[in-house]
Amino acid sequence: MNKRKKDPVWVHLVLIAAVILVCFPIVFALIKSTQNTEQVLSPSMGIGTSFLHNFKRAFLDYKLWIYMKNSLVISFYVTIGKIILSFLAAFSLVYFKFRGKKIIFIFIIVTLMMPTEVLILGLFNLIANQPAASFLQWASWFFNPVKLLFHPIAYGFGWSNTNLAIIVPFLASATGVFLFIQHFNSVPRSLVDSSRIDGTGPIGFIFHILIPMSWNTIGALALIQFVYVWNQYLWPRVIVRYDANQVVQVGMNKIISIGDSVAWGEVMAGAIIAMIPPLIIFSLLYHAFMKGYALSSNK
Amino acid sequence: MNIFDQGENAVFKGTWKAALFLLPTILILTVFLYFPAWHSLVMSFFRNNLFLGTHTFIGLENYRNLFTGPLAPAFLQSLIQTLLISLLIVFIGISASIFLAIQANKKIKGGTVYRMLLIWPFALSPAVAGTIFLFIFNPEVGIMNTLLDFLFSVKPRWLDSPLLALTLVVFAAVWKYLGYNIVFYLAALQNIPTEPLEAADIDGAGAWRKFFNVLYPLLSPTTFFLVFTNISYAFFETFGLIDILTSGGPVGPPNVLDKTGITTTLMYKVFQDGFGGSSNMGFAAAESVILTIMVGIVAYFQFSSMGKGIHYQG
Amino acid sequence: MKRVLSLFALAVLSVGMVCAGGNQETSQTEKPVKEIYFWHAFGDAARSQWIEDRADEFNAGHPGYKVVVEAKGSYRDTLQAAILADKQGSAPHLVQVFEVGSQLAYDSGIFMPVGEIGSFDTSDYIKPVLNYYTINDTVNSIPFNSSSPVLYINKDKIVEAGYPADYVPATFSDVIKLLETAKAKGVEGAKFSMCLHGWYFEQWMSEQNAMLVNNGNGRDARATETNLNSPAGMKIGNFMAELAKNDLYTYSGKFEDWNGSDAIFEEGKAMIHITSTADLGNISKAVEGKFKLGVGFIPIPDGATRNGTVIGGASVWVTKNHPEDELTAARDFVLFMTNTENMVSWHKLTGYYPVRNSSVEALKQEGWFDSDANQIVAFNQLLQTKSNKASAGALAGTLTDNRTIIETSLQKILQGADVKSALDEAKILSDTKLKEYNANF
Repeated sequence: MNKRKKDPVWVHLVLIAAVILVCFPIVFALIKSTQNTEQVLSPSMGIGTSFLHNFKRAFLDYKLWIYMKNSLVISFYVTIGKIILSFLAAFSLVYFKFRGKKIIFIFIIVTLMMPTEVLILGLFNLIANQPAASFLQWASWFFNPVKLLFHPIAYGFGWSNTNLAIIVPFLASATGVFLFIQHFNSVPRSLVDSSRIDGTGPIGFIFHILIPMSWNTIGALALIQFVYVWNQYLWPRVIVRYDANQVVQVGMNKIISIGDSVAWGEVMAGAIIAMIPPLIIFSLLYHAFMKGYALSSNK
Repeated sequence: MNIFDQGENAVFKGTWKAALFLLPTILILTVFLYFPAWHSLVMSFFRNNLFLGTHTFIGLENYRNLFTGPLAPAFLQSLIQTLLISLLIVFIGISASIFLAIQANKKIKGGTVYRMLLIWPFALSPAVAGTIFLFIFNPEVGIMNTLLDFLFSVKPRWLDSPLLALTLVVFAAVWKYLGYNIVFYLAALQNIPTEPLEAADIDGAGAWRKFFNVLYPLLSPTTFFLVFTNISYAFFETFGLIDILTSGGPVGPPNVLDKTGITTTLMYKVFQDGFGGSSNMGFAAAESVILTIMVGIVAYFQFSSMGKGIHYQG
Repeated sequence: MKRVLSLFALAVLSVGMVCAGGNQETSQTEKPVKEIYFWHAFGDAARSQWIEDRADEFNAGHPGYKVVVEAKGSYRDTLQAAILADKQGSAPHLVQVFEVGSQLAYDSGIFMPVGEIGSFDTSDYIKPVLNYYTINDTVNSIPFNSSSPVLYINKDKIVEAGYPADYVPATFSDVIKLLETAKAKGVEGAKFSMCLHGWYFEQWMSEQNAMLVNNGNGRDARATETNLNSPAGMKIGNFMAELAKNDLYTYSGKFEDWNGSDAIFEEGKAMIHITSTADLGNISKAVEGKFKLGVGFIPIPDGATRNGTVIGGASVWVTKNHPEDELTAARDFVLFMTNTENMVSWHKLTGYYPVRNSSVEALKQEGWFDSDANQIVAFNQLLQTKSNKASAGALAGTLTDNRTIIETSLQKILQGADVKSALDEAKILSDTKLKEYNANF
């Protein structure tokens, strides 16, 4: 990998071709977002003059800025939550001695096959249904196997339309646990041993050694989770009832109304704007997690 | 699970501390994922309509309708298509991203630029990506066909020719997830030690051998992880893209795959039956149970076949 | 020390998160007046603003009540949201429901017929339109945004094909002949470009005075069977087959792709096109300077006597379980929103029909139709529609499923499948769906 011969041409060609293929749709969207309604439906790729107009319509008139603000707040909380929770869970599975690790690991990993799309109705009832009026009422349902079996969600949290509804169900991350486990297993054993010899407990180990070594994984996870929450569409659409609390992708879809006379220029402008925060986060975190391990002791 | 081959890392004692660290995750997963999943399972044994609020126990009737009766051929076709499309997405996606990541990782001029430019599509939401592709590939007025017509005088029917529509959907799905895969491979590539490769060079190994014997095994933890997430992506998250781009797609070739659209994956069908039309949620729940089982089986095969070959360093 | 700080930060974060949820609760805290909620599906600024303006006007004249308007997403989303809200005891008073969702709305049990809220005059509403929304002899909902399909014509290409500029093909065979002649003359884009949508199938059934489903189109009793492969249905299928055989039909390839097909027509890749009248404004604007646009009645199957089209669009329903006075206020708002002048202004803004006879009169009086001859065509098509069960439209819970099934079978026909077997298969599928739906009762 440290060969310094002249860069082979074919590598550049391949990469350029790949970049063109990958970036073309965005260039397309960019150009279309500058066109006005008549130009936009035609195959013309000329740069129009309506960008400011389209931008203003999408951002202000369609209130995209409110949705983006909401999405930012939620993405922030969920990302941090996922990182903390999965870090701790993975740490526990790798660095503690106890029985039943395999079961717990499977328990966590299986949830990768339970995406929101599949759970949506149950999740909705759980979040939106009103909580039981009293503990007794709840207990009489929860501890009754027949009721529990046939009406698994008679009572819920009553969080309809709150930020809690879009944050709390997503705080745990099987992906994160998986990633951190992989990462922890690659940490040199010597570091773990030396910390044990020093007598530092798990918390010390985490803060002084493990976290500094894990920034790249944390960065990767942060990026992925931020984008995942940012792109969420189905769940917020179902649970958030008022515009003021709505998130960006649902808000974007309001610009694409039901079929008559969509202003595609504005839609494309909205799409471009909606892409900017993830791209910013991406460029911020890119360097953080591209740099190698903090320590390269016994290599 | 050979993830825990490094059981030697388990140096800390104190089961209660371990439990504490695990508790938040387990709690959230149980309450917000397992519980609703259970609800879906229960629902699959009921006649349940979203609009009408019915909730009647009908035992296995939903499942019977899935495998026998007039609605079965569409379901079975969807099953097969899902497997086909997902395998294509995973295989093409992973291969393309390993290849591109390796090229982009080389110390060449503009490497950073290439890297950044290849990654961004995953910041785009599936619905918007689908809309853009729909625009580009409109067979009459889309830019792709205008170009192809100009160059080669052909105007392929991207959206209603089954083969082309399938290709388009697979391509769009791979395109969208490329960034995600490449990001992980780049991170992995930048963290692998140089000695094994240098040793291989000294041995005089050619590029292919270097790849298969040295690079690929070193990347195997990442590959293992990515194959799993790609499978999940292909089975579940491609829904948004398919919805916008083809709405389940053109019907396939007559008498072979013509019971339903060719790009109707099971996830899309769950939506179509559960949230579209007259919202037969019980039926859709049964389909989603089968879908989850299918993913489970695929994942099991993946874990058992790839799990052995993972190499860790350190 | 660092450790303690970090743990503290964690705690603060978690508390903050929980509070964040509380703080972001909705803004409906004080309720000095009674709020009447209206949920609709118009996400675009123009139409939602118009509705809000009407709400403001109404509120000004009705102290003690405040109509609160909200756009909820697509038609389906709006209906689903309303039903879910009702489950939680907080249904909005008024909901805009798409026309084919009428049976679903009726069966959901959360709505009450608006005709039962006191008594009011409905004679001014255009009859076939009101018929659609009348179930069991009671007016269930008030039509709000209504449209029908019309034929859009590229007059330049018509002339190129050797026909007089104001020629409008009246029957299916006229269409075929027109396109074949144009093709033979080398006219570019000698094709027909409606999007592939079950709606058109429903329209052509109505034009033949044929029922889409049994039991009087679902209006005498709950529908149990569809008539997709009836002789009337076969005529439609055969038309599509013939178009495909001679390469006279074009579309984007995706079902229900309104925009895709509009674009095809606007770019001159087709010479005749069918889509909603509501798009007249946009299409006229888009083709300005490109070609001369004409509009006509939609062509009908040969041998049929023109029966008229089914109204499309949506209506406003009223939900149950509200106090009497709120119901009356809600009803009054809908009647206000759809009164004569408001329907005129709605029409001018959106192109939807003003579904009141008085509104049509008013428009005629001010010469609205003189300036744009194309507008009046759509009106005439509606006004000349006969009032019967076929044109009242089908009433069934599975109409949306039906449309997908129809579209699938039409696509198969376009790809060369035999019309009879495709439609037979479609009938089996849609009947199964219908049976499944009816099993809920």
